[in-house]
Amino acid sequence: MSSSSSSSSSSATTLSQYLSFFLEDEEYALGILQVKEIIEYSAVTRIPGAPPWLRGVTNLRGSVLPVVDLAVKLGLPPGKVSRRACIVVVEGVLRGEKIVMGLLIDTIGQVLDFTPEELEPLPAFGTPIPIDFLTGMGRVGSKFVLLLDIGRILGSQELQVAEALRTTDPAFERLSKRGLP
Amino acid sequence: MHPDDMEALRGIFRTEARELLMGMERAILMLESTQDPEVLKGLFRAVHTLKGNCLMMGFPDASELVHSVEDLLQMFVARTLPASASVVTLLLQSVDALRMLLGVPGEGRVAADVDPAVIQGRLMQTARAGGTAGEPPVLGKVRGVLPEALGELPAPERTLRVGLDRLDRLLDLTGEIAISRGRLTAMLEQAERHSPAELLEAHQETDRLYLDLQELVLKARLVPIGRAFQPFARTLWELGAATGKQVRLETGGEDVEVDTTVVELIRDPLTHLVRNAVDHGIELPGVRQARGKPPTGTLRIHARQEAGAIVVQVSDDGVGLNRERILQKARATGLLGPNEERDDAELFQLIFAPGFSTAERITELSGRGIGMDVVWRNIEMLRGSISIETREGAGTSFTLRLPLTLSIIEGFCVGVGEDTYVLPLENVFECVELPLEERGTGATGLLHLRGHALPYLRLREHFAAEGPRPERESVVIVGHGRDFRAGLAVDSLLGQAQTVIKPLSKLFQHLPGLSGSAILGTGRVALVLDVSSLLRSLLPRPFIRVA
Repeated sequence: MSSSSSSSSSSATTLSQYLSFFLEDEEYALGILQVKEIIEYSAVTRIPGAPPWLRGVTNLRGSVLPVVDLAVKLGLPPGKVSRRACIVVVEGVLRGEKIVMGLLIDTIGQVLDFTPEELEPLPAFGTPIPIDFLTGMGRVGSKFVLLLDIGRILGSQELQVAEALRTTDPAFERLSKRGLP
Repeated sequence: MHPDDMEALRGIFRTEARELLMGMERAILMLESTQDPEVLKGLFRAVHTLKGNCLMMGFPDASELVHSVEDLLQMFVARTLPASASVVTLLLQSVDALRMLLGVPGEGRVAADVDPAVIQGRLMQTARAGGTAGEPPVLGKVRGVLPEALGELPAPERTLRVGLDRLDRLLDLTGEIAISRGRLTAMLEQAERHSPAELLEAHQETDRLYLDLQELVLKARLVPIGRAFQPFARTLWELGAATGKQVRLETGGEDVEVDTTVVELIRDPLTHLVRNAVDHGIELPGVRQARGKPPTGTLRIHARQEAGAIVVQVSDDGVGLNRERILQKARATGLLGPNEERDDAELFQLIFAPGFSTAERITELSGRGIGMDVVWRNIEMLRGSISIETREGAGTSFTLRLPLTLSIIEGFCVGVGEDTYVLPLENVFECVELPLEERGTGATGLLHLRGHALPYLRLREHFAAEGPRPERESVVIVGHGRDFRAGLAVDSLLGQAQTVIKPLSKLFQHLPGLSGSAILGTGRVALVLDVSSLLRSLLPRPFIRVA
């Protein structure tokens, strides 16, 4: 499964399938091949000290799955956990290694088939989330669905984890504060 | 043959070649000092196998090179060629060249820049000259080029060799479980004929087998730590040649079994410590003799297992750390104020600061002050700790203490807010109830325990846990080794349980205080606390003890 997903150029020539879901009543979609599975949201254990976009970990058939609060990640208010909340399991790449993680979303939408004509390039501004996180938009009737670039979204984590480290590790802080020429 | 099959075959070939080359390297290093014919015979076998494999897998250049090595070895057998230092160097370089030709990673060493063609020529020349080998080409002078076909190598598959007897045990156990499960099913189908106690007993029987299986599977990941020590024989040989120092390697505890990831991650820190010990620690033979020491220095790498942790010690009998020089350097670089004093423990900790070096000149080996920083970082990453013991003039010893990363531990479960945390039982000394007057909201406090003041940390505050405050709080007295005691105030004590530690995702790898996770009977994930790193994040300085 490919996780680098700047696929706007290739998807322009083929019929593409997307899985849509809702965050804050806005519909977003992911390339269907990037989705491993969808599980019900249950019993996520909080990790103290983790950055706010990391919701915690949950048990996925015996292995421990990190859960990303996708809303926070996209710069939206933290996700509300309703009865219909789900976790979309995707595969990302961190430091060259594949890692599997879950994305917390409000509700699952539908599977969308887009013909090339229904895919629109991104506008210069005006999208509710940073344009870097999108690969394009898909037209459904009179509405638009924002297509997420999951590689970019998860790829930006490495930096943020490093940042979180800097502020939580006193040993590191002490050494770096004194500074060396 | 299908290209994928060919690639799979090559993968197996590379794994095998890697081991053969490692064995060759070891044997070559022994040639100089031993007369044991078995060493030479073993070397011969390895070389011959490799030659055949290279030919079969379509590496004609490599096979040619191996053939020349074989010719040279033939002369050892015929005793027409003595194992001189230059010949040994040449053979070692051939191993490097082969690694390059075959696309096999070097063992914990930076890939040497050698040109296989030059080595090949030198080998043939040496064989023709009958041992008067002249100076072998200097390492690093000629840069080799990876053959086109090997330009893009797939990442090597992570593999692990498991003893066949272990696998057999696993199979046996699976069989036993199948039988036991069948019996249980049969009993449940006629449940009315059996008493609940009988059913429970049958279930527990299956359960016991299942736990055995679990333990065996985890053990299958364990490898002897000696594999991480092996490359250092060569490193020392080269360092000795480069610096004119004589160093003997002494290893111990190679058969201590650790998780395979530990072997991978400990290599870099060890390399830096070994290089440092040779460059800064061990003196030149003349200096050593003048100081009344044997001319050959000793470097010891020793591993042992202590309750729940792997301890690896790297010690040398060199000069020891120079307190005065470290102090001066620290003041000069602004790490300390001009008149600021530190006790030994804190002072020696400074050598781990990035860029810190007391070496007067930068050599090829060390002196840029990067190495110790790497050691510190990697050990932190493994959530381990380092302690230094040093005596001026008598040597330095670094002790790395690494927690077991993946295993079954005896855990002690505590409740904090809505979450459950697991403490390794070996860190738990006793539990007491928090006195009423201490009940409050502070993140830390002091507890009077049998006349001593004991600092404690309220986990609820420290972890910013949610949920209603409990009626009563308990304090778990935890510690690390003999040195540290502290209390952790928790909402409830849930008792002891065997816990399978699962590593946390890479995303959480750097969070202090957590060593992994465990799945509870309820299906929830509980976090396993790393007591030593949790305490370290609170204490002003890490665990560094100076003798």
